Amino acid sequence: MKIFGFHLMPYQGLPADHLESTDSSWVTLSNTLFDPARGHALYQRYISELVAYDRAGFDGVCVNEHHQSAYGLMPSPNVIAAVLIPQTSCRIAILGNALPLRDHPLRVAEEVAMLDVISGGRIISGFVRGIGAEYHSFGMDPSMSRDRFYEAHDLIVAAWTRPGPFEWYGRHYKFRYVNPWPRPLQQPHPPIWSPSQGSTETVDWAARNRYTYLQTYSDIETVRRAFDGVRAAADGCGYTLPPAQLGWALPVCVATTDAAAEAIALPALDTLFNKLIRMPKDLFFPPGYTSAASAARILAGKGGLGSGGLDVRALIERGFAVVGSPETVRGRLEQYQKELGFGVLCPMFQFGSLGHEDFAASLTMFAEQVMPELRALGEA
Amino acid sequence: MTAPSLVADYVDVRNIKIWLARGGDGPPLVYLPGTDPEGEDPSLELLSQDFRVYRPHHPGFGRSDEDPAVDSVLDVAFRYLDLLDALGLDRVYLAGLSLGGWMAAQVAVLAPNRIAKLVLVCPAGLRPPVPVPDLFTLDPVELAMMIHHEPQVRRAAVNAVSEMPGDPERFTRYLRNRAATAHLGWNPYMHDPKLAGRLHRIGCEVLIIWGAQDQLLPPECALAWQQALPGARLELVQHAGHRPQAEQPAAFTALVRNFLS
Repeated sequence: MKIFGFHLMPYQGLPADHLESTDSSWVTLSNTLFDPARGHALYQRYISELVAYDRAGFDGVCVNEHHQSAYGLMPSPNVIAAVLIPQTSCRIAILGNALPLRDHPLRVAEEVAMLDVISGGRIISGFVRGIGAEYHSFGMDPSMSRDRFYEAHDLIVAAWTRPGPFEWYGRHYKFRYVNPWPRPLQQPHPPIWSPSQGSTETVDWAARNRYTYLQTYSDIETVRRAFDGVRAAADGCGYTLPPAQLGWALPVCVATTDAAAEAIALPALDTLFNKLIRMPKDLFFPPGYTSAASAARILAGKGGLGSGGLDVRALIERGFAVVGSPETVRGRLEQYQKELGFGVLCPMFQFGSLGHEDFAASLTMFAEQVMPELRALGEA
Repeated sequence: MTAPSLVADYVDVRNIKIWLARGGDGPPLVYLPGTDPEGEDPSLELLSQDFRVYRPHHPGFGRSDEDPAVDSVLDVAFRYLDLLDALGLDRVYLAGLSLGGWMAAQVAVLAPNRIAKLVLVCPAGLRPPVPVPDLFTLDPVELAMMIHHEPQVRRAAVNAVSEMPGDPERFTRYLRNRAATAHLGWNPYMHDPKLAGRLHRIGCEVLIIWGAQDQLLPPECALAWQQALPGARLELVQHAGHRPQAEQPAAFTALVRNFLS
């Protein structure tokens, strides 16, 4: 199994009552609540924590893109990836660049190629659509999200692989000259990953392109359904899905005992799930971001991610996070791996309000007492 | 809901199927609905007593086809000129409500000689001179609350959208309307910065009707229209929000009838 340490870089230090006057940590949460001096300290700390994954022997680190939110301080994951290159020797997975939010996908092709060349070929290039709230924040038409995603992806891969210059006249992007310098070091291009919450369209798309499919924030049954979907789609494309093409990202917390781990993780998970992933459904799922049929299902349902008031202990039981002693965490991950067959694990040891000392202890215990046992799994 | 005297079916418009209700006798009146062409509208029935009424579902909305040529209200306006051709209508009265008002104004800018008179009802399309709510952040119930003023009509509208998930096909069409509206009006928010400078091309008489208690596009927005269309007449409908045609159908249709006769 390949193990990549994930970090979301959440803003810490919001007033405890910040959700009393607004029901969202996205789009409309005033940036006057962001204290730049505190932000400076957080970036220093979070970058050191990403570097710590490399020092602990992880295969890679993961960064991602989010906008206008306390949830994460990486509007540009490429900037953080650039900062990490000289401080690490592992892979750097950008999970990912939110393609439809850009008016200029060639900028993504250029930046990722730069990072790949500078890092000596260590970049993994994730592509995502960006979450619904970001279509509000960026003024991008959500009804064209999927369409733009596919076309931007096709253009970027063409820019990396087809001899330039060539012309591109698509529905959404038009270029007289496509000819980016530099070209990526990895050939034909850096590995592409597809982080998703499990929509049928993305599952099929990832399998068809043989990209690593990465499930995020889900209960175990959703993960199982998505992975089964990828496997079936791969079968449909005439190949057997290798474990390396399935990944799972989730919060993990290890401490000496189950009780000690819960004492650390529960309040931090509460911050993550009930305060930071918090927004009304119409921000989370703007019109056209999902198909009308999916939207009907989502809007007719009650609760769910974003709605707040989630019981974090129940979330752990449902597999949204793995928390416990080294034995417990090892046991659960081994069991999940056996059931689900993934070959990539992207644990995040910092989440929500979790502090640096707890992060460092949890990471060390995982690296020393859990990771070695996981290595051989999913390598078939 | 289609008025009883109107009959709806598909019209082929250059290979795009447009769902069109028509009925009544009299001069042709093309009536462009707002973002939800299936919202309750008793004025349709009243108007069909004096006019031959045509009420389409916009391309990409309701029961009409997806239209790959449509990315803007300008594109819709071209498609509606195709619809006039398909129906053999050379010159018509044109009325538009809300989003449909924006479309109607755009049609009249493109082909002023084909519009005999123009009625704009709480039209979108120009940048509001005052802050306005973002309809895309409102859930269906919040939106129904906001666009209606009269308690009884509001209650009925809220009940209708609350019950919509129980009718998956209608609910899916409603959500499709929201996505199609986003496609036309997400950014810039529900207006075209170039429209004001083109409205002078409208040659016919224009009546602007506004719900006096419209909260979605407050009546101050009418000032922007009057500025760009100096000859236009403005009528406020009292005790009505964003849908005067639904809340005060008698007063609303009287205004329209008097203007068009």
